[in-house]
Amino acid sequence: MSSIFVNSKDVFLDIVNAKDYVQLDRVSSIYQSLKDSIKKPLKMILLYGKPGTGKSMFLNKLHTDLSSTQSIFLYKTPILDESEFYKTLAQDIFGTRYSGELNFTQFMKIVEKKEFQETPVVLLDEAQLYSDVLMEKIRLLSDTRTVKFVITLHKTEKEDIIAKEHFQTRIWETIELENASSSELKIYIQKKLMKANCFDSANMFTNKSVNRIHKITNGNYRDTNKLLYTLFDLYSLYEKSSRLSNIRTDQVPNKLIEMSAIHTGLIDA
Amino acid sequence: MLNLHELEQRWLRYKIKSYLPYLAIVLSVSVIFLSLFVFLREPSTPITKNITPIKAPVISPKPQVILKPKQPQVEKKVLTQKKELPQVQKEIIPSPRSTNKVILSPSLGFMKKMQTDQQPYYKNEHTNENNDVQIKAPTVTVVRDDIQHVEHPKIETVKKISITHKNTHNDIAEIISRFKKNNNPALSLFVAKKYYELGDYRQAYNYALITNQINQDIEVSWIIFTKSLVKLGEKKKAIKTLKQYIHQSHSNSAQILLDEIISGKFK
Repeated sequence: MSSIFVNSKDVFLDIVNAKDYVQLDRVSSIYQSLKDSIKKPLKMILLYGKPGTGKSMFLNKLHTDLSSTQSIFLYKTPILDESEFYKTLAQDIFGTRYSGELNFTQFMKIVEKKEFQETPVVLLDEAQLYSDVLMEKIRLLSDTRTVKFVITLHKTEKEDIIAKEHFQTRIWETIELENASSSELKIYIQKKLMKANCFDSANMFTNKSVNRIHKITNGNYRDTNKLLYTLFDLYSLYEKSSRLSNIRTDQVPNKLIEMSAIHTGLIDA
Repeated sequence: MLNLHELEQRWLRYKIKSYLPYLAIVLSVSVIFLSLFVFLREPSTPITKNITPIKAPVISPKPQVILKPKQPQVEKKVLTQKKELPQVQKEIIPSPRSTNKVILSPSLGFMKKMQTDQQPYYKNEHTNENNDVQIKAPTVTVVRDDIQHVEHPKIETVKKISITHKNTHNDIAEIISRFKKNNNPALSLFVAKKYYELGDYRQAYNYALITNQINQDIEVSWIIFTKSLVKLGEKKKAIKTLKQYIHQSHSNSAQILLDEIISGKFK
């Protein structure tokens, strides 16, 4: 029988799964506005934010929620080869299989031939990896209004993607995702644990311990998941070595949080 | 794979490292406070600063030049009235001692002794009471005034006091310059006494300290030193110093002074 710590550890595995989506007030309202934007006659929707703010989770959730009612296609990893990109879209959206090379002109001919009652939505994750040339083609494709694009980008400090000219003119909706606040992080952790029936573990997270976690991770979901995975790993190790009595289990001690942060590299020790 | 022991060690190092800045701040603040406390309690550093510049000789040729002509002047004046002087001295010696004004004459001898360098320090204590003696020119005039108006009322004595006071600083400067030359503790002690009388307790303290550094056995220097300390508001330090001296020397006068300081008689 696996201990509560092992179960709790698995909750924080870094996997993007729509089932693991945690409803938070602010996040829910953003998600709702994204859903609403898709219904609008927009060419392109940009979802941006720092790594680990939940962009991929948003796309996944959106795909899961809308796939039953709408023609929606999710590309989690970027297709960097241009011909491959057109071929994939031609096959998935228009049902046209192409064996040879497919260039933009040929692909546009396919697009013009097809007509949909409802505009198909293409979700492109990690769009910052696409080349500028391909991004320009995507822009031209969205101009035809035959395909609607939702793209996610990393907001980097060096380069503000939104400032790029081709985005500024064509993006009709931009949604920024931010790190969680301390209270949001507490809800996030506890909801996640309670979803997996780890109620005892959820109760271990007091305001004090969550504040410490928030200070270390800045409310970044990915970092928090990483930290908590290691934290419960440590708990299970203490349990295995029969040293659980040496540490507090009624609440998460700062020592364990800091040890986890040191191990994950969030604290430079 | 997690290594609990290693991770605990790393965490401990991290904890120590994170507390270091606070520790440094606390330490530096306490050091500042401690040094401030010490600085405010003991004005020893500024005193030593005062001492060092004194040692540096600035005016060396003047004293001898001034002193020598002064003595001849005195002698000349005495000589010009050759016939009167012997009579005067005879008449003066008994009368001035009773009025405490004409006791200036022994100081001249003291000054001459200073020039010869090696003097017994303790003998000067008696001359201390006659500190005004330093001023030679005035003394002569005083003598002459007294000679002429031996039986006249006190109005003359007031004049005498003002004359001595005017020349005091010059004479101290003279003694200081001589002291710089020969480093005679009797001279510095004299200066200390003089400054004390003039109410310049800081300088009195300095010269008493200098005297003490040259010769620690001069009782008067200890007394001037502690008296100056009391006057400078350092009563505790004065008591402490006196106690130490009494412990070493078993001096009665030091004991009396200590009792006076403690009882508050001497302020």
